[in-house]
Amino acid sequence: MKRNEIIAVILVILATVGTVVGIFGIEKYRRAKLFTVELIARQPAHGNWYPRRIKVPFGKEVRIIIRNIETVSHGFALPAFNVAVPEIKAGEVVVVRFTPDKKGTFPFMCTVWCSDEHMDMTGELVVE
Amino acid sequence: MKKVKTFLLLNFFFLVLPNLCFAEERLIEIKAKKFSYTPNIIKVKKGDLVRVRLISEDVHHGFFLDGYNIETSAYPGVDGSVSFVANKTGRFTFRCSVTCGDFHPYMVGYLIVEPNIRFYTFIFLVIFLGLGSILLLFFKREKVNDKDKLFGLIDLNWRFELTKFKIIRTLFKSRWFPLLLLIFNLFVFTVILIAGFIGGYQAGNYNFGIMIVWILWWVLLMLILVPVFSRAWCMMCPFPIFSDWFQRKRLFAVNQDKPSGLNLKWPKKLKNMWLMNIVFLFTTFFSGFFTVRPFATFVLLGFIILLAFIIGMIFEKRSFCLYICPISGFQGLYSQFAMSEIRVKNPEICKKHTPKTCFVGNENGYGCPWLLTPFDFKKNTYCGMCTECFKTCPYDNMAFNLRPPGVDLLVDTKREPKGLDEAWKAFIMLGIAIVFFLAYQGPWGFIKDMARATTLDGYLRFIIFHTIFNLLVIPAVFFVFVYLSKLFSGNKEIPLKKVFINFAYTLVPIGLGVWITFSLGIILPNGSYILHILSDPFAWGWNLFGTANFPWTPVFTGIMGYLQGITLIIFYLFSLAYGFRLSKQVYPELKQAKYGWIPIFSFLTLITLIFLWLFIG
Repeated sequence: MKRNEIIAVILVILATVGTVVGIFGIEKYRRAKLFTVELIARQPAHGNWYPRRIKVPFGKEVRIIIRNIETVSHGFALPAFNVAVPEIKAGEVVVVRFTPDKKGTFPFMCTVWCSDEHMDMTGELVVE
Repeated sequence: MKKVKTFLLLNFFFLVLPNLCFAEERLIEIKAKKFSYTPNIIKVKKGDLVRVRLISEDVHHGFFLDGYNIETSAYPGVDGSVSFVANKTGRFTFRCSVTCGDFHPYMVGYLIVEPNIRFYTFIFLVIFLGLGSILLLFFKREKVNDKDKLFGLIDLNWRFELTKFKIIRTLFKSRWFPLLLLIFNLFVFTVILIAGFIGGYQAGNYNFGIMIVWILWWVLLMLILVPVFSRAWCMMCPFPIFSDWFQRKRLFAVNQDKPSGLNLKWPKKLKNMWLMNIVFLFTTFFSGFFTVRPFATFVLLGFIILLAFIIGMIFEKRSFCLYICPISGFQGLYSQFAMSEIRVKNPEICKKHTPKTCFVGNENGYGCPWLLTPFDFKKNTYCGMCTECFKTCPYDNMAFNLRPPGVDLLVDTKREPKGLDEAWKAFIMLGIAIVFFLAYQGPWGFIKDMARATTLDGYLRFIIFHTIFNLLVIPAVFFVFVYLSKLFSGNKEIPLKKVFINFAYTLVPIGLGVWITFSLGIILPNGSYILHILSDPFAWGWNLFGTANFPWTPVFTGIMGYLQGITLIIFYLFSLAYGFRLSKQVYPELKQAKYGWIPIFSFLTLITLIFLWLFIG
């Protein structure tokens, strides 16, 4: 009886705390393996790109996870490195990978007419 | 020669002429704007060549037509077009196929290809079967000493004990059951809460929490768990695990010491469904948020879990589950219809057995946490199926039975009486089904705007209409028919209240049928999202099972109308079958029962026809 009680308690802890720690741990490990930036897409009226300025290291492959947390479609283009996603639907997550082989500051922008201030939906990528 | 002429003439009349005169080319311009189409209901004739031009007025919208499985989409300024020959008749829903916002899954319109033969067929079937049942009632001589058989087929006293199989009984007696189920669901709901929390305010159709709770869980509940297994969800619901643990001080083992917490008795006046009626109705006010916004689902679930724990610290045992939990009430009421039950096998053994370990508990298990008396209860309503009584009974006298659906509806004992609280639960469930259908599966954009609180004014109007419709309008209409029933029966002594309460239970089968029908409209179009969210539960770009990029694919939506019609008819027949039996219980004489049944029969037929019209007409 005593042994079963301990097993049950361990299982409950695994199901709750274990799950939370496990999920965030795996994600952290996944991101540590490859330089990863999370970019949130929003209309300028709702906060614009977040962060608007992304810093990435030079010469190593990087990954940008673009999350459209809104209820309209957005697009993503980083012309300097030939990276583009024609459409990121509402709620969708898109992963882009590229190797920054130039140093400097480069613009990225939304490519879908998402709102009246669509043209203001831009950000900067800094390669150091 | 003459024959050839006649043949040609006939050909002309029946083949050429109809096509020449009726089949046309129809150009339809559909404007799409969040979250509806204009026009929202399109009628074409069979054989028409339909050309659709889709014009978006705000964001990228799509157009997917059920049954024809054709698709197009439009950006603002870039129209979409698609054309097809309307060769299948019936009502088909066209849906937005591009995630356009929170209410995207609810953005629909109807294409009716006339003649809507399936609708007319089902209308005919309802009237034919309904009138047929009345004719049988009045003209068939009742045989004396006949067993009471459902539809003349299944004996109402038929039971099949599943626990006679040793493996099932061993399972039910094990303390790991249902604890392991509970822990598994605890894990699932932890993931749901995380997904809900980080999902935030985004559109819900790519969120794990929204999809598992409102697409999978809700549909499973209505489609399988409640109609077949009674309160099987309560058996595995993880929410009260913390209060149970707190009260018992043990998770697995049986602790016979005094339970911790205040362990107050629940107030006697609240030992009914009224509180749950109110809590559930109140919860549905926010349906336009928590079915589409991940964070709203997180808040709702978090609140329920917290409340369950707090109530568990103050009141005894499962008081929360019994009298507060918003989804407990309808499970209780509809589980009266369920096809299975937990009951005592041989009451004689229990009579001699003292103390009643199933109620007070022993070293093998706890006394009934749902405060029932397992040795003699007769209704599923408040049995949470926690299987403690299987563990505490030293004579293995508890049984898990299969049974004919609906037999609890006829039970009316002093300890488990029929009441107005359950009657109102039946009304509320019927009313919510109507409002939900209008708001979430209907093509009317203005209702959606009200439900999602585009303007505060509209939202308040929605709430007020919703409340009045559920609490007053439906009961009032029902009351008129009940009054007529008493008038028709010619019985003057019987209290109107008794007639009202008893006949309210006829709404249980049809109500459950309506919810199953409604659930088909949720799972068939949207079920494919589940494959996506299982692979990428947190929208972090994961792909656990390789299905993260599985596209949205409606399944069987072309024949959904038939499935819905058949479901409604089956449950309509159940309502009729139990309705007349209830009538015989209400009125002392058979003649009174027959005449008094006619108005109630009319009411049931009327609402079935209304629902047929809503779903497929």
